[in-house]
Amino acid sequence: MADNEVVIIDYGMGNLWSVASAVKFLGFIPVVTSDISIVSSAESLILPGVGSFRRAMQELKSASIDQAIFKSLENPKTKLLGICLGMQLLGVSSTEDGFTDGLGLVKNTVTKLAGSNEVSIKIPHVGFNRVQMPKESKLFDQISIDASFYFVHSYAMQILDDFSKYATTTYGQEFVAAIESGQVFGTQFHPEKSQKSGLKVLENFLR
Amino acid sequence: MLTKRLIFTLLYDGGSFMLSRNFRLQKIGDLDWLEENYGFSTVGYAIDELVVIDVSRQNRNTPQFCEDLKRLTRDCFAPITAGGGIRTLEHVHQLLRSGADKVVVNTALHDQPELVEEIAAELGRQCIVASIDVQKINGVYQVFKNHGTVKVGESLDHVLLKCAGLPVGEIHIESIDRDGTGNGLDLEILEFIKHVKDVPLILMGGIGNADHIIAGLKDNRVDAVATGNLLNFMGDGLARARELAINGGVILPKF
Amino acid sequence: MSTRPRITFDSQGRCNACQWAEEKKTLDWSVRQNELTKILNEHRSTDGSFDCVVPVSGGKDGSYVAYQLKHNYGMNPIAVTVTPALSLELGNQNLKNFIASGFDHIQVSAAGDILQKLNKFGFIHKGFPYFGWLIAIETVPLRIATQFKLSLVFYGEEGETEYGGSTALKNSPFHTIDFMRDVYLEGGQDLVFKEANLASEAVTLFRFPTQSDYGDHPLKVTHWSYFENWDPYRNYLLAKEKCGLTEATDTNTGTFTNFAQNDQALYSLHAYMMYLKFGFGRATQDAGIEIRRGAMHREQAINLVKLYDGKYPDEFIDLYLDYYQMTQQEFDSVIEKWVNQSLFELKKGRWQPTFKIK
Repeated sequence: MADNEVVIIDYGMGNLWSVASAVKFLGFIPVVTSDISIVSSAESLILPGVGSFRRAMQELKSASIDQAIFKSLENPKTKLLGICLGMQLLGVSSTEDGFTDGLGLVKNTVTKLAGSNEVSIKIPHVGFNRVQMPKESKLFDQISIDASFYFVHSYAMQILDDFSKYATTTYGQEFVAAIESGQVFGTQFHPEKSQKSGLKVLENFLR
Repeated sequence: MLTKRLIFTLLYDGGSFMLSRNFRLQKIGDLDWLEENYGFSTVGYAIDELVVIDVSRQNRNTPQFCEDLKRLTRDCFAPITAGGGIRTLEHVHQLLRSGADKVVVNTALHDQPELVEEIAAELGRQCIVASIDVQKINGVYQVFKNHGTVKVGESLDHVLLKCAGLPVGEIHIESIDRDGTGNGLDLEILEFIKHVKDVPLILMGGIGNADHIIAGLKDNRVDAVATGNLLNFMGDGLARARELAINGGVILPKF
Repeated sequence: MSTRPRITFDSQGRCNACQWAEEKKTLDWSVRQNELTKILNEHRSTDGSFDCVVPVSGGKDGSYVAYQLKHNYGMNPIAVTVTPALSLELGNQNLKNFIASGFDHIQVSAAGDILQKLNKFGFIHKGFPYFGWLIAIETVPLRIATQFKLSLVFYGEEGETEYGGSTALKNSPFHTIDFMRDVYLEGGQDLVFKEANLASEAVTLFRFPTQSDYGDHPLKVTHWSYFENWDPYRNYLLAKEKCGLTEATDTNTGTFTNFAQNDQALYSLHAYMMYLKFGFGRATQDAGIEIRRGAMHREQAINLVKLYDGKYPDEFIDLYLDYYQMTQQEFDSVIEKWVNQSLFELKKGRWQPTFKIK
């Protein structure tokens, strides 16, 4: 696998064209595939995702892509970025569509977005929102604190008090907008849909 | 905090892009014209979302539409919604493979509501924008389908109640009376949205200039406004309108 | 300083068309409405006979006026059309639809050879490509009124007031035949009759009626725009809904609209000549209308004008040459005679602007 190749996992769920376009725009070579031998030997992986958590996990398991991902992460040089549902799948579980186990690469859980007593919210959370960025972050390096990112989701990952770096957003409640945990990264927002700032986040991951 | 959205809509008909006035179409130009006057790789930074709808009245060519959609959105890194004549799940997949993140359904809401359930089951409800076209007749907002030519036979209130029971992500309401007139949005429509007040709302029909955009977005009930006025916003028109809106107090991201 | 005849600008650079648009916002229209009611009451027929003449082309403006008079004011108009040379399919269809929607109508066609001569010599000697027709739409409705012993003739807008010309008629409901002859036709009839070598008897239709013609029924020629705020876009919406008006599927040459001036091929040349004489064309004219009705701001309009204004009527040029019986060379030299050469220069056979829009 060449240095600037990026494997985008195709498991039948996700807007692959836009992610691949963005990767290409940034000067990398997108390899869109469901081939587990390519996935397991990749050093730069993107897991996109749109739709139901339960279905996504079913697809990943039945095609053994989950195993391929674990294998690729055995190589310490490998990094993985989960986008939107892709980020949620990195967690231990989700309550969307029943209770489902996730990949467990991070310890967080995923639950439905809800308002609070003071604030009622419209579901899904759709549009551009700002983000509280962590210090010394790889993903948000050189990004303005005023930057806005595009979110479109009804479920969200809960923040944990652990060693992961979190970017958070508040909509009804505060939840994970992005996570950085060792080799594993994730953004709830779509970097490929978030204009220049989004492209920079993606670029930061890829370099 | 979640910002408001300014959405630009392109109406596609067999390779040409159209201007609509009360749902009657005028051909303005093809993809080359669009690239010259609206290059979305740059104009994309002036909008929060791009919607591309296939409004072909005859001989809809979906593969061609998808090819043109890909070309149009190649270097546009903003959210993209596509639609026009969606009747099958496969059509939805074709659009998503061509750069769209969300799809918009209109006639199918009435004729095949089960399709909406199908799309949501596979892709999630946030993938679906429910589009409703209305015309005021004898003081009542009547809903129309099939490019505004067929009366559904239900009022807006009734149709929104129906939508509240379907797994849709956003509601998009367009005024046929105001469409293309540049006379401003019909904010009276907002009096009928009680059944869907928990769902993000997009209002369309009548925007001609930044004042209309501001009036719409400043209303608490509105989350986004959309315009398809291809003539009024050419060149730096969208960027200027966005700037004016932000200066006018609308909370929009600065890209 | 402006190139357009009779236009004036205030200290802020606004032309009289825009100033008038502003004035109209606070004008007390009820006073003018009362005047209209009074005039109509004096002339309304009670026995089914016609009581007024409305010149129409099948387009939005005449249709609007005819509709208002018949359906909202209880009048019994006779609609009159002067057949243009080189009429367009869409225009013909729109006229048919207008009549079908419920209007009594008279179509007047001038002898083709006479009309052709007047158009041609009007083009050469006044830079008006359809001067013959322009004369006829002023004279024929009046002649019809005279024949039917009617006094009232309702034109649509008073073009000078609405679009930046003379403001003489701003506060006047009626215009005189002299005004029509001297301002609308710029005093050009006699010149063109002479150049076309046409005797008085040959051009009856093209001459205004005189006292001996209208005798006891003096003409009261008026314009609807005096009594109600003139809004061409509103007219279009009503004509579309009530009179069967349809638009072109493509954008019209030299502008960004598709719903105006669809009746004859020579209009495109007329608009092009306007552009070459004054530096503003059909797109600028249409943009002005959009700005005045609040649909767009000036900055937005500039982009449209830059893209669309002043297009050479390529799609009709062969038709024109054939109609005028001219060669391309003869045609080009007529254009050269009328181009404002301080605004345009000839490059590769086409006149290009030396000015920029700010």
